[in-house]
Amino acid sequence: MTVRTSSRGGLILWLAPPLLWFTVFMLVPYAMLFYYSLGSVEYMTFKPGFSFANLGRVLTSAPYLAVLLKSLKLGVITAVGATLAGFPVAFCLAFHSTSRTVRSFVYFLVIIPWWASYLVKAYAWKTILGSNGLINSLLMSLHLIDEPLTFFLYNQFSVALTLIYIFTPFAILSIYAQLERIPTNVIEGAKNLGATDFEVFRRVIVPLSLPGVVAGAVITFSLSFGDFVAPALVGGPDAVMISNIVVNLLGVAFDWPMAAAIGIVVIAFAMTLISAAQYLEHKTAVRF
Amino acid sequence: MESLINIRRLTKAFGDFIAVDSIDLSIREGEFLTLLGSSGSGKTTTLRLIAGLDPPTSGNIVYRGKDISALPTRLRDMRLVFQDYALFPHLNVFDNIAFGLRVRVTRHKYDEGRVNELVSKYLEFVHLGGQDQKMPHQLSGGQKQRVALARALVSDPPVVLFDEPLGSLDASLRKAMQFELKRMHRELRKTFIYVTHDQEEAMAMSDRIVVMKDAKILQVDTPEALYYEPTSTAVARFVGAANVVTGRVVRSDASETVVAVADGQLAAPGRAAAWKAGEEVAIVLRAESIGLTSAQDVAVRNAISGVVVGRLFLGKAIEYQVELADRHNTLTVTSSREDSVYEVGSRVAVVPKRNAVRILSA
Repeated sequence: MTVRTSSRGGLILWLAPPLLWFTVFMLVPYAMLFYYSLGSVEYMTFKPGFSFANLGRVLTSAPYLAVLLKSLKLGVITAVGATLAGFPVAFCLAFHSTSRTVRSFVYFLVIIPWWASYLVKAYAWKTILGSNGLINSLLMSLHLIDEPLTFFLYNQFSVALTLIYIFTPFAILSIYAQLERIPTNVIEGAKNLGATDFEVFRRVIVPLSLPGVVAGAVITFSLSFGDFVAPALVGGPDAVMISNIVVNLLGVAFDWPMAAAIGIVVIAFAMTLISAAQYLEHKTAVRF
Repeated sequence: MESLINIRRLTKAFGDFIAVDSIDLSIREGEFLTLLGSSGSGKTTTLRLIAGLDPPTSGNIVYRGKDISALPTRLRDMRLVFQDYALFPHLNVFDNIAFGLRVRVTRHKYDEGRVNELVSKYLEFVHLGGQDQKMPHQLSGGQKQRVALARALVSDPPVVLFDEPLGSLDASLRKAMQFELKRMHRELRKTFIYVTHDQEEAMAMSDRIVVMKDAKILQVDTPEALYYEPTSTAVARFVGAANVVTGRVVRSDASETVVAVADGQLAAPGRAAAWKAGEEVAIVLRAESIGLTSAQDVAVRNAISGVVVGRLFLGKAIEYQVELADRHNTLTVTSSREDSVYEVGSRVAVVPKRNAVRILSA
């Protein structure tokens, strides 16, 4: 029995770090979030309580719901956009890089943006889309327009574009990981059975890539749904997202309970969607 | 017989590595042809070139008089059965088999009714009736193999290519599938081109065998011819349970050639290819065509003496390892159970049976 005791001791030792991490960084913050959402604010100070009024307000007040829906919409647009932009890159990485050098180089290009700060990347779009930005300067110097076009920036378009730009690498890597698992001889088999390149793509590669596509879409959706930097930098009044509301409630209005209630709703929302997506991922899963 | 595929000076290089080195080969319509060789001999590369999965570096493949060297694989009349089956993991058995009937090159020939009919027919043909809704991961290795076969056969290709299709099956299943493939070849009357590294499998199944080594073809012949008349020591070693020993020619004329081996002499019937006296040659002795007698008989012409250094009981036969008097060559001798039994350590005389000695250049 000494062996068993020591192995159980070993198990606890092994499990302790992840359990501790999970408790400190996941359970405690969520519990605090929930605790705050039940309280109220009086004279700019938090007053503990036990009321679901804040949660109720998030789900019934039209402005909050509208922003939630807009965030949802931008999240979906980002997920779809990142998938559409990422798939060709992942495809080339997996199948069309003839040499290892080319593949490493493309892979490198995908990874590089992660070395730059998120803020810098979002800000970069300001300098591309702005009144004195790249696009307007180019169009003006070509005399195609007389004064800068303003519809590039400070709207949902610029926010979606920035989010897609920032999160596409996640889609690329997720799809690439799946495409790389497709055995070469399955593709050769399809060709040998008479399939054209397009038929190989449509009948073999796309169906086999679906789990990676779904996983990539879930990641990019989750990341963009709760984003607040892109709307803050390149979004206008039309492109306020739910996290911007939370930031304002926390920093400007000092309404922590309301901010916490929104946080709870957002988390519940995202969890539901992710569960649905996971079910989809499971349905499309392929056993090689 | 008419030759269906003519391969001329076919070469495939991967960078500096020459996988197939300027081979010539004629494949006859309806035959079961096997490319036999150890790994790295170029047999699989040759098959892939024929299938059109890799472009040749140089040389031609002519099919029914037409150069198909540049034709993409989908337009060739050849279907390949892959070593690890290469089934589509997202399609069930039915859709796997129907795949080749639903793609563009074949679509005008088969509407869905005809697809149904053909898939059902070939499911029966490979004994997989009732399994059509299963996914590949639910099948055993043997069943996957049958799906791969049905998938290749269903569009009725004139040529079926096999890349070590039985490689990942266990021994008993292998044997059963060998019979099965022979039956299919007999019933379908298609040209089968088969790749294997297993010489017994090649011998058992083929009409003709192409022995490959180091990117070149050593010999193309029927299994019998390869077995009894190998043209090189490499083929003799690879194809049969053959002993290859070296000796020196004593004399050679139209009636016979006598070679000194160890302390004795062996004689082979004369051939047009005469040898010079004193020349070093290789002698091929198949394990089952040499007999052992007791050492007193060594004086007999056409015998060499040796010592039994190993003995294995094989059931219907006994296999001996006999070290020759020169202590340099060891022979494997298979002897039936009716013959006298020799203990390890006993001195024996090795006597080849009639016409068992084959002389090749060393």
